[in-house]
Formats: sequence, C-alpha cells, structure tokens
Amino acid sequence: MTRLRRVDLAAALVTLLLAWLVIYPIVIVGAEASNGAAIRAFVTRPGEWAALWASVWISLVSVILAAAIGIPLAFLFEWFDFPGRKTLGSLIALPVVLPPLVGVIAFLFLYGESGFIARAIQAALHLENAPWRLQGAAAILLVHAYSMYVYFYLFMRAGLAKLDVSMLEAAQALGADRASTLWRVIVPLLRPSLIGAAILTFMTALGSFSAPYIFGGGFRVMTTQIVATKLNGDLPLAMVETVALAIVAIVGLLILRRTEGDDILVALGKGIAPRPRPIRRTGVRRLATVAGWGLAVLLLLPHLTLILVSLVPYGAWTTEILPPVINFENYRRLFSEAERLRPMWNSFWMAAVSTALAVVLALVGGWLVVRRRVALRRAIEGLLALPWALPGTVFAIALATTFSVRAPFALRFVLVGTAVLLPLAYLVRALPLTGRGILASYRQLDPSLEEAAASLGAGRWRTLARVTLPQLRPGLAAGASLALVAGLGDIVASIVLYTYETRPVSIEILSSLRLDETGVAAAFGVVLMIVSAIVLGVGARR
Amino acid sequence: MVGPARARHGGKAVTAFLQVRAIEKRWSEGVTIGPITLDIARGEILALLGPSGSGKTTVLRLLAGFETADGGRIAVASEDVTRVPPARRRFGMVFQHYALFPHLDVGENVGFGLTKSPDRDTSIANALGLVDLSGFERRKVHELSGGQQQRVALARALAPEPRVLLLDEPLSNLDPALRERTRHELREVIKRVGITTVFVTHEQEEAFDLGDRIAVLNQGRLEQAGTPDELYERPANVFVATFVGRANVFRGTAASVLCGGATRNGVVVVRPERLRFVQAGLPGVVRERRYTGAAAFFVVEGDDHERFEVLAEPDAAHVGERVYVEATRVIAL
Repeated sequence: MTRLRRVDLAAALVTLLLAWLVIYPIVIVGAEASNGAAIRAFVTRPGEWAALWASVWISLVSVILAAAIGIPLAFLFEWFDFPGRKTLGSLIALPVVLPPLVGVIAFLFLYGESGFIARAIQAALHLENAPWRLQGAAAILLVHAYSMYVYFYLFMRAGLAKLDVSMLEAAQALGADRASTLWRVIVPLLRPSLIGAAILTFMTALGSFSAPYIFGGGFRVMTTQIVATKLNGDLPLAMVETVALAIVAIVGLLILRRTEGDDILVALGKGIAPRPRPIRRTGVRRLATVAGWGLAVLLLLPHLTLILVSLVPYGAWTTEILPPVINFENYRRLFSEAERLRPMWNSFWMAAVSTALAVVLALVGGWLVVRRRVALRRAIEGLLALPWALPGTVFAIALATTFSVRAPFALRFVLVGTAVLLPLAYLVRALPLTGRGILASYRQLDPSLEEAAASLGAGRWRTLARVTLPQLRPGLAAGASLALVAGLGDIVASIVLYTYETRPVSIEILSSLRLDETGVAAAFGVVLMIVSAIVLGVGARR
Repeated sequence: MVGPARARHGGKAVTAFLQVRAIEKRWSEGVTIGPITLDIARGEILALLGPSGSGKTTVLRLLAGFETADGGRIAVASEDVTRVPPARRRFGMVFQHYALFPHLDVGENVGFGLTKSPDRDTSIANALGLVDLSGFERRKVHELSGGQQQRVALARALAPEPRVLLLDEPLSNLDPALRERTRHELREVIKRVGITTVFVTHEQEEAFDLGDRIAVLNQGRLEQAGTPDELYERPANVFVATFVGRANVFRGTAASVLCGGATRNGVVVVRPERLRFVQAGLPGVVRERRYTGAAAFFVVEGDDHERFEVLAEPDAAHVGERVYVEATRVIAL
C-alpha cells in the first residue's frame, strides 16, 4: 500500500515537472497575449495575416513537393534492384539527419545568387549580373522539398518493406491487375505511412525557420515574423503571433490526424516483404542506375559545395568560377581563436546537458508509463510528446516570456540572460525525441526479463544496469543522438534566447555570413555536419 | 467417398482437368524443382506432401502463376496457362497466413475478386453461407478468430468461381484441437462445390484425410503419386515408405529372415502393425515400450543392433525380454 503511494507520488512529481516545462510557458504566453492592443494590432495589420497564410500554404505545398519526390524514390529503391541500390538508398536519406541550417547555407553557396552555379552561368554567358536571385517563396519551397522529401522516402520505404507480399498475390489471384492492386491494396495499406510522413513534413515546414530566414527576403512566414517582432521589441505582439502560430499547428495536426483513421492496418500473421525485382532490360537498367546516381550527386552537391567553400580563405574568391586558393586557414582560425571556439563549446555543453536530462526524464517517464502503469500515464506520455506538436519558435517565445519575471510562488524565475535558459529550451525540444525512442523500446521489452533478473538475485540497480538499460539501448541511443544533433544545430530557439556569452554555433554562422566571412561560416557548417554524422552514426549502431 | 475422381485416375491423362507437364523451376545452380508431371482430374483433391524444402510450395506457386516456370507447361481444361499471369488465370488461392486485407471488412474481402454487378451482394452472401459465416459481412477481419479468418479466406477464394482452388498449408495456422474439425469442414465445402483442388501440406495425416490423391515430393522431385492406400501399401521407395506412415527398414540378413528368402535388392520395409512376436523368427531384445491405450509400440533391438518398432497387444512383451519377430506382410523395394 505504501509502495503504491510512493509510485503515485513520483508520478505526480514527474507530471508536475513536465507540465511546468512544457505546458506552463504556453499557458503564460496565452494569458499574456490576451492583451487588447496587441490583438487589435495583429488583426488589423495585413502583414500578420499574410505571414500566417504564408506559413500555411508553404507548409502544404512543401508536403506535396516532398511527396512528389519521396514516394517515387521509395518505390524505386524498395522494389527494383540496380547497381548501387544499397549505398545510394542510404545516401539519399542524408539531408534529414543534418541540421537544417547547414543544409540551408549549403544551398546558398551552391544555388544562391553568388553561389557556385550562378557564378558559373554568369561567367559562361558573360552576364553582368547573377542570372537569378534565390529568394522568396520559391526559394523556401525548393529548400523544403530538398530536405523534407526524406520523410516520405523513409516512411514509404518502411511501409513497403513491411508490406506482406501475399496481400499482393492475393489481389492478383482474385483477378486484380497492377493498377487496381495499387489503388485497392497498396495505397490503403500504406496510408498510415503516407499520413505519418505528411504530418511530419507539415509540422517541420510550419516550424521551419532557417530557410525563410535566409532566403525569405521580404517574404515573411510566421516564424520569421515572430522573431522580427521580438527583435523590434514589441513583445506583446510577438506573443499574439506565437499563439496564432500555435493554434495553426494544433489545428493542422488535428485535421491530419483525423484522416489517419484507426490504426489496425497491421498485417495479420507474419508478412514477407516483396523481394526487390532486378531490372532485366539493359536499357531500363542503365537508365535507373544513371538516374539513381545522378540524383544522389544532385542531392549531395550542396554539402560538397559547403566543404569547398570552407576551404577558401577570406577574400580570396571573388569573381572566379573556381576558387583560386584552397587551404585550411578557416579551420585553423576556428580552432585557435578563442572567440570562435567559444560558440562550439557552448553548443556542445548545452546540447549535451539538455540531452542527458531529456534521457533521464524519458527513462523515468517510460518506467512510470509502461512498467508501473500509473494512473497519470496518459498525462506523462502526452506531455513528453507535446513539444513536437508546436513549432520551436512558439516554445522560445513562451520560455522567454515565462522566465523574465521573478515570481517564485508562481514558479517563475528570471532566467533570461543566464546560461540556463537555452539548455532548458533545448531540453523541451529534446523530450519528444528521447521520449518516443525510450517508450517504444520499453514497450518492446519483455517484463519477464526484468523478473528473471530479480529471481536470479539481482537488485533494482543491477537489474537496471545489466538488463533494462542494455535492452533499451537502441531506442535510447537513437533518441539521444537525434536530440543531441538537434541541440547542436538549433537556431530556432537560440535566435530568440541567446546572449553573447551563450551564443551557439548557429548564431555564429549567421554573424559570419553577415560579415561576409563565408569561409568561416562554411567551416562551422562542415564541423556541425561531421559531428552530427558521427553522433547519428554512433546512435544508429546496433 | 472415393468418387469418380479416383475411378477416372485409372484412365490416366486423357481426362485430366489440370495437367502439369514436366514443369521445372531452377532457383540457382543445383537447386532445381522438377521436372514434375501430374494429372489432376476434375473435382479431385490433390495433396502435395513433402518435408520442408521439398519444393511443394514452389509447385503450388507455379500453378498459381506467382512463379514463372523455367520449363514444362500447365494446362487447365486443355487451355495452356503456363504464361498466363495470376490475375487472369482464374485460380483461387488460400494463403498460409490467409492474406486477408486488413483495411477491408469481411464482405469487402470476399467481394474483392467479384466485378461490380447487381448480384455482387448475393454472391458474397452465398460464399459466406458456404463457409457457415452468414451475416459476417460487416465484421472487421481482425475481430475474427483464426478459424473464422481461414473460412473467410476460403470464401474469398471461392467467390469468383475459380477453375482450380489452391491452398497453401491451409490448417497450419490453427491450433491442433481445431485442426481436425476444420479439416473435415474444409473437405466437405470443397466436395460440395466440386472444385478441382491442390493443397500443400507437410503432415501425412492431413494429406490422407483431406486428399483424394497424394503427390509425395522430396528434394524437388516427385517421388510418387497415388491414393493414400497405394502410398501406404505400395510405396515406390524407402523415402515414401518412411515419410508416409511408420515404417521399419530392414537390410541384409534381417531382410532375408523376414522375407523367408532372398530379397530383390536387400531392402524390405515392414509396417509396425505387420510385425508380430512369435516363437522363432528374427531375434531381438525389447528396449522400450510405449503404451498408446489400445496397443503398445515395442522398440526391439535386433542382433545387428538396428532398432525397429512392433505394434502389438500392450502385454505382448516386456522391456528386456528376448523376442522373435516375424512379418505378416513385407514391402519389397
């Protein structure tokens, strides 16, 4: 009886802590946004509605473009066999694992008006000006499509791999031709994957900040609008904008979730995925190979450009097509100048601390939800997942608002301007990542393993260290590595909450760009890229 | 029960409804299924029996058209269907794990192979009635028990009125208690419809109970095809003798002792119930006794240290006793 109470007490404490982190700031922002003048300003200014509408349609078009690229790719790589299929198949999933800011600046260096390709065309055609300006909605959509097709690609490949081949054979045996099998069997069975990818793409596009910030120009979406308003010092209006964006996010999520339907589409009995079909006709085979490799090069070209730009010292590359000088000067500066080392160290410790805390919270939450099945389990699970449903900008503004007031009895403290607020923001953003990974692993963990350990005389901590944690490792490592990479590359929360002392790499990249130190910015990007790749590589190891 | 199918089999290929001629599938170097030749009469139920890896599922998938043959031909009612894709072959198939579409309800599953027509609902109702699931149209597939799912799969395969019904291990997914009942129901439905049927199984009992005739496959080859009686009483070789029913294989001296003379090639097969304890015969010592109720199996070790089984009265001998055995019927190979 006393045991039960202790667990329930722990559950109540964890729930309160999570609510304080995840819901409380949103509630505060909602309350403080109920400010007549600010709401009036929001409603009457056409620019606000334009930004809100831009966020919505940019997100919807991003979903369509990402689906148009990702779905055919998934079928190509899952169902057909051609030389290089395996290598290319994992290479083209790469953009999703890199911090968005890195992808965006890589894009800038390749396709921007002073980018590699524009330069080449300008020189080839002897043009006076750059042939195009990569700006506005089209540029944003291009970057979104380029980085977000991966969601559709990965979800569809996973769905196709799970598809039971006997379902397709059953349809054929019942007289269905290929088109009819596709529409009556494959598409309905893959619907959960399709909708999952659509939700993820929509939410990512809605919260996207780097692309509109760098390529938007005069074109504003809600995330950039909020940050601009905040930088102008109009905090009440920024709060109203934040609430508006949060509402759009939640409504969008609810609408998309409704189309998901009940989740019963798990195949009955064990399924055997269709084998990839080798392409027999040499012409088609050659075409598929060329298309596959061409595509991979196209998709990886921005990152190669980033590496190239990082090797060009300041001021050395002006009008030439290829850089005249290449050396490691930028990297030397990165690692020798204290002012450059600082942001790297900041990003590292803030991401590491927030990830560690997010792992601990998720472990405790997972234990309470899955193993002890406490009464508050739905609340805990919901709170762990909630930050995923709202754009990062919303949380950044909410945290900035909540922790700029000293009211200890309302659990509000002045954290703005301290080194605590950014890690706290990273922590909130990391919770869904570690939470999902650890809860999923916990659910798959057979409780009799822990019982076996206990019956063999292992105490609680020994069981945790020797049985539970090793079993949870895949989900834990995956969630933690995603959280760490998200923290390392974060710009959304950082741009709202950073101070000069705590400025992370992303902010340093932006200021380098502003000073035209493209080489340094690129070098920072490459470092982020390499560190992210290593972290994710380690996290994905079985 | 034997019916015209068996009677007609004596007349051989002329009347065969489903003809399989030297069909072959080469998976890779050294792994070849076939060539296999089989004739299946109209309305006959043929069992493809064999251990795992014997190629029985491949033969079934060749019949269904999911695999393309590397040689030979398949014909139904004299129409060559070797190259006809499964969608136009009009063969019904019941999959091992049923492959019911989880996104459709029972009625939609059964109606999947039917064209849009005013009679569609009637056909669905008839097919469900056939498997004793009338009124199940709007049920979700995942709400059904394993046995019900199996019957829905059968109804779905039969609804478009296929020319041939194929079943892949139809009972392997059911628990043993349900299996025997389902077996009889399955046979009854098939016989009522009168459809020519080929099914795959690795269980001899299932093949005997459900099949009119059995084709025994081993390592991609057809070892023997015949009625259960033929396979049991006149197996073509040691493999068939030991795979179909219990069998003792005797070689050398023991074989000649049991035959009471020379054997054709030194090997004889005797079923346990065809051996009995006598005063003088093949000598041995009882090593084990397994009581089954009506009778008991005695494991006897002969003087050549080969062991064999005798089915006899429970008190016919005891462990450790020196016994002599004779055969009432030997199968010479």
